Parts: sequence; structure tokens; C-alpha cells
Amino acid sequence: MSLLEIRGLTVAYPGKHGDVLAVDGVDFSIGKGEFVGLAGESGCGKTTMAMAIPNLLPRNARITAGSVVFDGADLTTMDEDGLRTVRWNEISVVFQGALNALNPVHTVGSQILEPIRVHDRGTSEAEARSRMEELLEAVGIPAGRAGDFPHQFSGGMRQRVMIAMALACRPQLVIADEPITALDVMTQAQILDLLRSLCDRYGLSMLLISHDLSVLAQTCDRVAVMYAGRIVETGPAGRVFGSDEHHGGARHPYTQRLLRAYPNIRRERVFIEGIPGYPPDLTQPQSGCRFRARCDLAIDKCAEEPTLVDVGGDHRAACWRLDQAVTS
Amino acid sequence: MTSDQAAQGIDDIEYEKPPSNWTLLWGDRMGRWGIIILVVVTVLAVFGPMIWPFDPAAVGEDSSSIFQPPSSAHWLGTDELGRDVFSQFLMGARISLFVGIMATLIATVIGAGIGVMAGFFRGPVDSAAMGVTDFFLVVPALPLMIALAAIFGQNLLIVIIVIGALAWPRTARIVRSQTLSLRERQFVPRARSLGASNARIIRTNITPHLLALIVANTILVVAGCILAEATLSFIGLGDPNRISWGSMLHFGFVSGAVGRGAWWYFLPPGLGILVVVLGFTLVGQSFERVTNPKMRGGA
Amino acid sequence: MPPLLRRILVLLVSLFAIVTFNFFLFHVIPGDPIRLIARTQKLAPDQVEKLRQSFGLDGSLIEQYFRYLSNLLHGDLGYSFSLKEPVSDVIGRALLNTLILLTVSTIIVVVVGIMIGVFAGSRHGKKADSATVVTSLIFWSLPTFWVGMLLVFTFGVWIGGLPISGITTPNAVYHSGIDYVMDVARHLILPTITLAIVDIAFFIIITRTSLVDVMGEDYMLTARGKGLTRRTMVWKHGFRNALLPVLTASVLYISALVAGAIQVEVVFSWPGMGLLTYNSVLARDYPVLEACFLVTAIVVLAANFGADLVYRRLDPRVAVNT
Repeated sequence: MSLLEIRGLTVAYPGKHGDVLAVDGVDFSIGKGEFVGLAGESGCGKTTMAMAIPNLLPRNARITAGSVVFDGADLTTMDEDGLRTVRWNEISVVFQGALNALNPVHTVGSQILEPIRVHDRGTSEAEARSRMEELLEAVGIPAGRAGDFPHQFSGGMRQRVMIAMALACRPQLVIADEPITALDVMTQAQILDLLRSLCDRYGLSMLLISHDLSVLAQTCDRVAVMYAGRIVETGPAGRVFGSDEHHGGARHPYTQRLLRAYPNIRRERVFIEGIPGYPPDLTQPQSGCRFRARCDLAIDKCAEEPTLVDVGGDHRAACWRLDQAVTS
Repeated sequence: MTSDQAAQGIDDIEYEKPPSNWTLLWGDRMGRWGIIILVVVTVLAVFGPMIWPFDPAAVGEDSSSIFQPPSSAHWLGTDELGRDVFSQFLMGARISLFVGIMATLIATVIGAGIGVMAGFFRGPVDSAAMGVTDFFLVVPALPLMIALAAIFGQNLLIVIIVIGALAWPRTARIVRSQTLSLRERQFVPRARSLGASNARIIRTNITPHLLALIVANTILVVAGCILAEATLSFIGLGDPNRISWGSMLHFGFVSGAVGRGAWWYFLPPGLGILVVVLGFTLVGQSFERVTNPKMRGGA
Repeated sequence: MPPLLRRILVLLVSLFAIVTFNFFLFHVIPGDPIRLIARTQKLAPDQVEKLRQSFGLDGSLIEQYFRYLSNLLHGDLGYSFSLKEPVSDVIGRALLNTLILLTVSTIIVVVVGIMIGVFAGSRHGKKADSATVVTSLIFWSLPTFWVGMLLVFTFGVWIGGLPISGITTPNAVYHSGIDYVMDVARHLILPTITLAIVDIAFFIIITRTSLVDVMGEDYMLTARGKGLTRRTMVWKHGFRNALLPVLTASVLYISALVAGAIQVEVVFSWPGMGLLTYNSVLARDYPVLEACFLVTAIVVLAANFGADLVYRRLDPRVAVNT
């Protein structure tokens, strides 16, 4: 039984010509203690999908279909009071760009203390404080800086504060939305290692979102790749990225292009290729494989909706040309 | 806003042809009401005094003609000297609008000029200009207007100059910060490398991009200037030979119209000011919103 | 340089600028102020002499300027010929009355304005929000003095029941201090309402716009993600940040408040700086007018300084970085 089961999730934004389906019938799951990566270009719906889990969507967005079952309860049908007890207590978020995600007028210490006070009412003031200081030390910040304000920290340190804050209530699942963009390369690697080690240490599940597949390849147990609101490929990181000798690596043409489109943050990469064309305009109704307009391998068949097909070892891809893609 | 949404927002814009500012303004509910108000008042102010038969300055013949309530002849009754209130109201609309708009023109020329210079030349020019601007921003405007009007005497021109000369600091600040950011855009260094003079760059590369901002601000300043004229005239510092809504209220107040319950005398000019100021405020805010949706939260 | 010291230095420079500006305004621009006064007043020769002294008109401009400065430092603001007493005495009483009016209405305006502004701003895009915005815009477009006239008409002529003029009931006999305070409080009601009606609207619009901006910030999403209640989100995270732009706009508010107070004092004969200004305009009593302007400007300067200090306390970024 997984910790999180998403079934047929569809999220719509109102658009000028009807609904824009930012997430379109997605199935997805995260197991207990699992470290899952979610990749895709910006605008593909990965943030929307992640924010739909604790129902933190913007006001104009609606979940129009599907379920998000977390620890046995469907969060999509839960009322606001119920969601409040789940948020941060069970599912916390490390937001993109920690400068803006931290409140500038409160000290970092009080911002970490806040969810403890709200969710763990039995905790005494002294216990809460010592937990806060312990968390700061755990992310590599001296506890003495608890009284400082966010602007007094560097970008990497702020992200560490954000991570400490996300762990404040010992959640079961942490969603990290692009936690390392806008950081320098050295800091990026440090933050990734920190996330991975904390995940293992506290036995929590992690959903790591990044547009950069190489980031996910280094840290995740399993990855999923999204394109235009759908998951096009998912599987164990070793298989999808081909680091296991006997399995071919990425199968979907989009994943293959994406792998070539970003520099690797740890390994040296010889050259970077952009993907020609643009993602489809989601304000228009979509059908078939969303990637076919940019795909070298597209055939007439691609106008039909592909489904995720198992290509072995829980590795699945949604493509009509899997036989071709494997060789390219 | 998440990155996903932002991307969709951009898609939305790319597929639409940008409509003109005026179309947008008419499409905005507040903007439309503002435009309707201003058109009606302008028509009244321009043509009203030509059509309405009474001379606003014609004094009544005897004591029986003073403070007369509204009748079929005098729609808004008469004042303390037996003059027709409705014809004063129409004439007052003219003067209030005229003073408000003329003072705003002065304020806009000063404010935009100082703002562009400060933003474009930066350095000591900027410091000096902003020092003066901040000074006038802090000095309480109404007491200063009262002092100036009391020193220079009372006629329409002085009232216009006094109001205009004190209404510019905010324009200057807004224009300056916009100029500062425009100056950093690529086309300015490019124009400079092609040998364009400062005057030319300001004329062709800076000013056109400031226009929407200046128009929105100007419309809002008119509202303030009309209120300023009304207040100054109410205090008795308007042109004694001209009828404005403010001066009507001044005479209504000192002649005891309130105590006599002559509502037809003191209600209309106040409502006139309210409606016109509201009209300019609505149009100005709406214009600001449709030309620069990111600047304000919108309503 | 420590930030506070720098702020005080700026305050002193502004003060000096105001004083100098005032000198030019009343002593240099009109040419001979005595001529100006003689235009509207019939003056006996000894009065003219007294005026010349009070204006410090003998000697060169520089000499006059320094004499003016030294007089100011000694609290000598000249002599009022319409009231026949030193200007400083007149101003002292009036300033106290105005400060009472301004303090009471500022408290009401800030509290009510912030509550309604936060109410509207936290309901951005809903009916309650747009209704509040439209109502505020209408009230904001009202001329303050006209609102006062309407209230005088309503409570003085039509319904009655509340004092419409002055600060105390004429010839009243008070049995205790409380009686006196109550009488003043009753006289305060209508002027305060008048002043508050227009300025609350201003405050609502600024607070609301600022809160709407803040509600879209990333840290508000964090607050929501933390599972906070709406009330905690809005007040602890939203409002604290929204207050900063509101304080920045206080320059405009203070200026509007002073303008409003002048009008209210004229309409309700509240014996403060505004009524004094008005009467000195009618009597063309330039020494009083000059002192009124100078004192008002200095009070406004001090108020802005205070607002700036509060801002610096509330925004940790400014407090540490400058």
C-alpha cells in the first residue's frame, strides 16, 4: 500500500476558450520512504500536480476529476478544516525560491516554530524551541541564528531554512518544488545531498520536482516525466536513466530529448541540445500524443491517445513508437 | 503564481490581438461609468450656460425673490441675493472643470519634466530634483495654497497657477522611476551608440513609453485639482468674480443657507464636485489598471 | 552613520528648509508686507511702526533673515493686529485644539480603515471587495467641507441633537472636570465624523490594495501550506507586510488629514489652527497666517518623521541595512 495514490487527477484553470487542463488524467503514486522525482519543462503541469496533493492550488484552479488518496483518505473531497490538519503536519512543501517563500518580517526561528505550535499543541514551549534548534543544526545552520530575518541569509542558507521548516512537524511526505533553481552549482549539490540524507534519516517520502533530469537521476529512487499535463514515462531511476547496464534507459522520445537538453550538474556533458518547437497551447483542446508535433518519430497513429505501457521492471512509457525509440 | 500558471498566462496573451487602451477602458466597468459621467458633465458645462435662460449673476428684484425653493422657473431655486442657482450650477461646472484641467496641465508639465530629467540624467541632477520634490511632498499643500493665494491675491489665473504649482510632486516621482527603468532598456544604449543626442533619446525613446503612465496619472491629478479649487474657493480665496462650485458653497456657507435649510443651494454644487471627482478617479484608476495590470492589484 | 542619527539630520535639514522657505514666502516675495496689509487695513502710524518691527523689515535681507531666525528661536512669532496679542499665544491654544481633533480622528481612521481594508483585501475579487472599493472611491471623492455642511444641516437644522459649533457649549457651568471633558467630547463628534468619513476611504483603498498585492506573494502560499487558519494567514503574515506600503503612503495621508482638519474647523468653528488660518485670511492678518503655515508645516514634518520611525521598526530589512 503506497502512502500516496493519485488516480485520474485532472486540474483545470479557466481560460479564454474554455478550461485549460494543466493536469490531465494523471495516475501517480509514492511509497512510504520513497524518493520520487518529477520532471518536465516549465508549464507542463508538474507544479500544478504537486500543489494539488495538499490542495494548495490557486483560487481559480479546480480539481475536476480524480482522487488523491493519502494515508487512506481522499484529500480532494476533504474540507478546508480537514486539509489544515494534513498540511505541514503530514505533507509539507519546500517552495521554489526561498527568499520569497519566507516571510520577510518574521525571524526564521519563529517561522519554523509556527507550524509546531499550530499542529503539535501538546508540545511545550521549551520542547518546540529545542526541536526548532535541532532542525536548524540538522540542515547545517547554527541554532544561534534563529533570531535572524530571512534577508540576512544567503540563497542556499534560506533554502536550508525552508527545508528545516518543512520538517518541523515530522511530516510523512515532503514536496520539494524546484528547490535548487537559482542556486549556484556547488550549493545545488549540497542541498540535494541534504534532502536525500534527511529523507533517509527521518524515513520520510519525498517528491522532488525539477526541470533538470540529471538532478533527479542523482537523487531519486523513481522518476516520472510530465509533458503537457500528462505523465509520459515513469520508472525506477536506474532504468529510466540507463545507469543499470542491462536496461536501455529512457524510452519515450520526449524523455530522451529532455536528457540531452540540460547539462549534468555532476558529470561533464559534452553538448546540450534544445528541443525544437514549443509545448502545445493548452488553451486549445488536445488529443493523441501531445508531443507528436515536436517528435521526429511521429506517425499517423500518434493522433490516437497512447497509454502507459510496461517495458519491463515497472518501467512504463506512453508512446506508439517504443520499438523505434529504443534504438535512437 | 506558479510557473505553470505564468506560462499559461503568456500563452493566453500571445494568441490575442492586443486591443486599444480605450477599448479596454470601455470594457472595464468602473472605467465605463467614469467616461459616461465625464461626458455628461462636460456637455452640461459647455452647452448648459448657453441654453439656460437666467444670467447667473442677475440679482433678484426684491427680498421676496431670495432663498426661493425650487420652482418651475428656477429649477434649483434662488440664493441669498435672488440669483438663479441652476444657472450658477451650470456656470460653476465650467469653471471647476476649467481650473481643474488647466492646473493639471501645469502640474503635468512640471512633474513630467522634472521626473524625466531626474531619471534620465541621474547623479546630482536627480538628487537635486528629488530633494525639491520630497520637500514639496512633505510641505502640507492646502496651507501652502492658502498662504500663496492670500499673498498673490485672487483671480482665476493665480488660483490655477497656485494649484498647478503644488500638484506635481507625485507625478515627478512616478515619472522618474519609470524613466530610470526605461533608461536601462537596450534601445537607449543602442540609440546612443548610433550617435543620438540626449534630447533625441528623450524625445523618441523615453517619452513615448511614458505616455500611458502620464495619462493615467494626469487624469487622477485632475480629480485632486478640482477638489483643491473647491476647497480654496470655499475658504474664500477663489476669484470673487467667477462662479465655481466651491465659491457657491462659500457663499452658501457665509450667507447662512445651511441654517435656513436652503438645501437646493448647498446640495447641488457638492454633488457636482463629488460626481466629477469620482468620474476622473474612476477613469484614471481604470486606465492605470488596463494599461499596466501588474502595477495594482486591480478591483 | 547610525540610521537614526541620519534621519534626525535629514529632519533638521528639512526643518531649516521649511523655515527658510517660509521667510521667502512671507518676507521676500510680497515685497513690502506692510503695503500688502495696508491694502486691506486702515492702520494708524503707530500700528505701522509696530508691524515694521514685528516683521523685522529694517536692514538688509540677510540681516532680516538672521533676525527672523533669532526671533523664531526665542519663540517670537510676531504680533497679531487683528487679535491684539502675541501670535505665539494665539497659536499655542489653537495648536492644542487641533491636535485633539487630529489625534482622535487619526485613531478612528487608522483602526476602522485597516479593519475594512483588510476585510476587503482578503476577499479580493468577491462582491464584498468590489462593493467596498466603489463605496470608498465615492467617499474619497467627497469634499470634506461639504460633508461637514451636510452634517451641520442634518444635526443642527433637520434632526438636531448634536452641537455643531465650537469646542464647548457657550456659558456652560461645569460641576466637575468630567462634565467639561464630556462637553468637549460631544462637540468633537461631528467634526471627527466629517474628517473620518473622507480619510477612512483613503485608508481603506491603500490598505486593501497593499493587502491584495501581499496575498499574491509566495510566503502567503507557504502560510497556507503550513495549515494556518485564514485569520492567522491574513493578520500575522499578510497584514504585517501590507502595513509597510500603508506607512509609506502616510505622507499623503498626513497632508490630506491637515487639509481636512482646516475645512472641518472652518465649518464647525473648531478653534484650532485651521479656523485660525481661515480667520487670518479673512482679516489679512499676515503674521498669524505666516505662523499658522510654519507651525502646521513643522507639525507635518514631525508626523512624517514619526511614521518613518514606525516603518523602520516594522521592516527588519530597513532596520538592519541602513
